[in-house]
Amino acid sequence: MQHIYVYDGSYLALLSLILELIKRKIKPDNIKLENYEVTLFDEVINLQIEYDPNILKKMHKSFGRYATNAMYYVFLSEEENKELLLYYFFLNALKYHKNIGYKRNLKCVSEVLRISQYVMHEGHKMKGFLRFKELENKVLYAEMEPTNDVIMLVSEHFQKRLKNEYFIIKDVGRGILSIYDKQKFVIVPEDNFILSTSVLSDEEKKMEQLWKIFYRTIGIEARKNDRCRMNFMPKKYWKHIIEMEDEL
Amino acid sequence: MNLQEKLKILADSAKYDASCSSSGSKRSNNGGLGNAAVAGICHSFASDGRCISLLKILLTNSCIFDCKYCLNRKSNNIKRAIFTPEEICEITINFYRRNYIEGLFLSSGIIKSPDYTMEQLIKTIELLRNKYHFNGYIHAKAIPGSSDALLKRLGNLVDRLSANVELPTENGLKLLAPNKDSNKVDKIMGYVKDNQSRNYVPAGQSTQMIIGATKERDLDIMHKSSSLYDKYKLKRVFYSAYVPVNKDSVLPSLISPPLVRENRLYQADWLLRFYNFKVDDLLNEDNPNFNILVDPKTDWALRHLNEFPKEINKCSYYDLLKIPGIGVKSAKRIVTSRRNFTIQMSDLKRLGVVIKRAKYFILCDGKYFANTSLFKKDFIEANLVLEDKDMAVIKREQLRLF
Repeated sequence: MQHIYVYDGSYLALLSLILELIKRKIKPDNIKLENYEVTLFDEVINLQIEYDPNILKKMHKSFGRYATNAMYYVFLSEEENKELLLYYFFLNALKYHKNIGYKRNLKCVSEVLRISQYVMHEGHKMKGFLRFKELENKVLYAEMEPTNDVIMLVSEHFQKRLKNEYFIIKDVGRGILSIYDKQKFVIVPEDNFILSTSVLSDEEKKMEQLWKIFYRTIGIEARKNDRCRMNFMPKKYWKHIIEMEDEL
Repeated sequence: MNLQEKLKILADSAKYDASCSSSGSKRSNNGGLGNAAVAGICHSFASDGRCISLLKILLTNSCIFDCKYCLNRKSNNIKRAIFTPEEICEITINFYRRNYIEGLFLSSGIIKSPDYTMEQLIKTIELLRNKYHFNGYIHAKAIPGSSDALLKRLGNLVDRLSANVELPTENGLKLLAPNKDSNKVDKIMGYVKDNQSRNYVPAGQSTQMIIGATKERDLDIMHKSSSLYDKYKLKRVFYSAYVPVNKDSVLPSLISPPLVRENRLYQADWLLRFYNFKVDDLLNEDNPNFNILVDPKTDWALRHLNEFPKEINKCSYYDLLKIPGIGVKSAKRIVTSRRNFTIQMSDLKRLGVVIKRAKYFILCDGKYFANTSLFKKDFIEANLVLEDKDMAVIKREQLRLF
């Protein structure tokens, strides 16, 4: 029998569960979302524990900001068994405290740092590759399909940058929206909304056209290098990068 | 002429300027549109693989100068265009809102006089900052020969201000850019350095040199770069492989731009700025050009094999930086990690070391990666050359010759 502990999908719930397991000296075979597909050999255990609202503060104090943030980035990743990885990282962090980030000879540490960097990098890339279209009512609307769940990181960036605009960012793969109303943004499932994004502003086509002209002009023919371009701007993102539409 | 046609001409004329970085400024959004990201953000990558971060355009491609290498020289019979300040603002704001760009890179051909041209640049950027309340990144070119008062006004508006050295020696400049005077570029860089602050050119200044249009050796170029970094505290020197756009008896007839050479110069530039190398370590009168086959650091290591192999767990931070395959980040990780545990060969990958390069030059906990009898220059060099990705580029360039 495999002992599978489940949580409701929120970060706080996961951290609280991990802490509880460590307190009770339980070594889980795995930790999964409560609605995962159960197999014949699984024994599903839901501890139904209460969240500790101060857990992040305590982690900051004990593990340091670097390690605490790294854990959150891993949570945003699509890595299989990320929950179990975070459990082992947490276990070791309780032992090594602020030195945990330097223990790269431990597999759980090097993995957490590697994955967190990957998520952070994708978040940074999306800040550049995201393309807004202006809708008829001047709202800026963008679609993206990142590998990791970076909508929070991306929204925080645009909240500062486009302070005086209304914007909506949609993560197509996850079916979630980030909606900003010039005050703050909220992240919600798209099912709750009926969006009409097909009517663009009068200026929109003209600006897209100008941008495509600029894009095609700025490359130097004698230096053409498709491989280099692909390394920096992987093809998986092209679908939503308007200047790449014609090359797909 | 419509806006599309203008943009095409004035982007085409600006594309040979290498700089497109948008880092180093913390300008925040004080109620208007946009802010600057300290780390810089690349928004797209052009067909040549270069990052597109800024809307890189000229105000006009008309020019009273006749620099031999330049597409926009007076004697070239090409279409000329000029943007109005309003047009530049419209494009910049609309591109920025849609997240196409991180900001504006504005340069210009010289019309009427340097001061007049500068005034036009200032007018445009003032409009952008004051009327449109644009807080994104702006990189402007200073026009050599303009007055200090104008340099002051422009610098207060932009994040980065730069003037291009273009050619590393006075002789090169006389030959190819007879209207240019290197003293005027020096004067701009001196002025910016003396006045730089949080409000004046916060992201610092940079410059550019064209590689391969004149006969300068890598040694001359690196000495020039090194002196620019020391004297004017430049953030960056950009190297731009010469792309033949004009035919002229004084210009070399290249089949393709010297991209590998450009790459070697950038690698060496990094060694000067972040790895504690001096120009004399890398090149000298007997050895005035970089080895095309291996990167400058590996080349140095192969010539100083008596200093290797170095013990990862003991050698100093600065010694770690001298090992091929170890960069600033991995060197720092090694230093913090080895206080906590003894680093083994198997840990190196997790620390970000490029093992296929580093393994020849290091000991881990006293152990060499192979039989120590293999620690010989010929063996290491042959293996590294075989593994070098850049070789693919060289082969391609050689093929094009035939």
